[in-house]
Amino acid sequence: MAFNPLEHRGIPLDDQLRNWGQLDVAPVDPDTSDPYTKCRIIAMNGIEVEAIMFSHHFNRICPDLEVKQQLAQVRFIEQQQQKVVNWLLPGQASVLETTISYEQVAVDLTGWVARQEPDPYLKQAYEFGLLEDFDHLYRYANLYEMIEHRKAEKIIDQLTEAMPGRPTRLHHRHPMDNIREPYDREAAAPMSKLHALTIMAAEQQTMNFYMNVGPMYMEPIARQLYQEIGLVEEEHVTHYESLVDPGETWWERLVNHEYNECYLYYSFMQTESDPRVKGIWELHLNMELEHLHIACDLMRRHDGRDPESILAPSLPEPVTFEPNKTLIRDLLATQFDWTTLGTGYVQEAHRRFEEYQDRINAERPPSDQVMEDHQHKFGEEYRLETEGPHPVQSQRAQPYQ
Amino acid sequence: MSSTTKGQYSSTDDVIDLLKAQHGQIRDLFDLVMHSEGQERKEAFEKLVRLLAVHETAEEEIIHPMARSLPGGDGIVDDRLAEEREAKEVLSELDGMDPGDPAFLKSLDKLRMDVLTHARAEERYEFDRLRDEFSPAQLKGFAAAVRAAEGTAPTHPRPGVESAKKNMLAGPPAAIMDRVRDMIRDARDKD
Repeated sequence: MAFNPLEHRGIPLDDQLRNWGQLDVAPVDPDTSDPYTKCRIIAMNGIEVEAIMFSHHFNRICPDLEVKQQLAQVRFIEQQQQKVVNWLLPGQASVLETTISYEQVAVDLTGWVARQEPDPYLKQAYEFGLLEDFDHLYRYANLYEMIEHRKAEKIIDQLTEAMPGRPTRLHHRHPMDNIREPYDREAAAPMSKLHALTIMAAEQQTMNFYMNVGPMYMEPIARQLYQEIGLVEEEHVTHYESLVDPGETWWERLVNHEYNECYLYYSFMQTESDPRVKGIWELHLNMELEHLHIACDLMRRHDGRDPESILAPSLPEPVTFEPNKTLIRDLLATQFDWTTLGTGYVQEAHRRFEEYQDRINAERPPSDQVMEDHQHKFGEEYRLETEGPHPVQSQRAQPYQ
Repeated sequence: MSSTTKGQYSSTDDVIDLLKAQHGQIRDLFDLVMHSEGQERKEAFEKLVRLLAVHETAEEEIIHPMARSLPGGDGIVDDRLAEEREAKEVLSELDGMDPGDPAFLKSLDKLRMDVLTHARAEERYEFDRLRDEFSPAQLKGFAAAVRAAEGTAPTHPRPGVESAKKNMLAGPPAAIMDRVRDMIRDARDKD
């Protein structure tokens, strides 16, 4: 049955406030919970953080007192939603374990979106970024075994492989080359707008997370690796946010944000394996339906347009966390050595790229160092290759010299 | 499939790194006990109990006294000892149970969360701060002491010497801990 969020009212805003006891949610099990449940928690946290920060930015440019008050009310509830969602993560998990789950999100959420995206230019943007997050997972997995003496497959299970993607040292492009062309808000499929917002929010949360947790490590190699990958996340946020049409009005953007939250809570409610967590997705969906309704009213009033004119008549297929191994192996075989030039992609390294690389990689990048340190300590690198040898000949595991 | 060896475990000579590696091993052993049956579960559980005994005793003898010298160290260590007491109670409860008993897994789960919470607290409030307080030589010396205790209390009994080891490590967890304590003190006194 197609679900149209505009046809449902949800919980009245006045009834959405939760007390401290209701906010004090029990975390999921650090060892036995479904890795994709953790991925859904992390992805949804990113969506809520984006909703909150978008609303704050709107508040800062909005002169209308009544609108500001309305935004503040919804925003406080969204903060409570973020608290409940992110507090599902267990305190026993280390920062690095959570990081590995963040990269699993980046890989399998972007992989799903890349497969569903109808627009070829947008699809290319997701495929390009995917191969980089895939490499981050591999580097962090090696750091994890070095510091915590456990294998990343204890966290990601056999759902996502951990092997080289496009090498992290090659992710450092001239910032000019990280800007993409936006979709056209008049012509783009509603689904494409949701995809762009979702991946932008997920990468932004990853960027913020690394910015803040990186210096909590004492091990020099950990501190360095978080810096390097944190800077790649800056590139990714730039890459994905520039896909969104900057011509969208603030009202339109507000509606898109609320609609996207409905979409993701609905999706996760449909696909969640943990019944208790599923209950939270359902509750939050019922809250978001009301937030969407309020946003639609604001758009009608202040933008003079019907939200129906920019939204799909029903939600697309539920966003699903599932393995993307075939897609990733196909992309590795075809796009492994790509980079960007202007707003497009090239296979050959170009001058601006090489000059930038020479400067930033003038000293050995931590993403290379972590592999050498791991090999030195363990005699070989950590990999999880469930589907056979690496599709790129030069990236197959070599015995350590 | 991944193919990393266990080489690091025997190669590390920093006591913090060694104890962290044991935390990883302990967690993996819980996983094995949960996901095995019959004789395999019984053996995995015995292995887990021995490793826990060696590990916790080593921490009590080496880490916690070091941690007491940190600012606020007494409070931190008292909190850790309270966690350990709680875990030990569940452990002795489990020790008398049949691993096939449905209640076994329930108690095991309680122990698993207790131990994991305790281990993470040690890493955050003790290990991370201790590394700064002691010289590499000291950290290495303590690693040798833990290793000595482990050497006499192997988690993998070898064929042939099994009966001797069994003699040394038979009995309830509390008895194993007492013996490991003596071994560590002996090892430390020799330095």
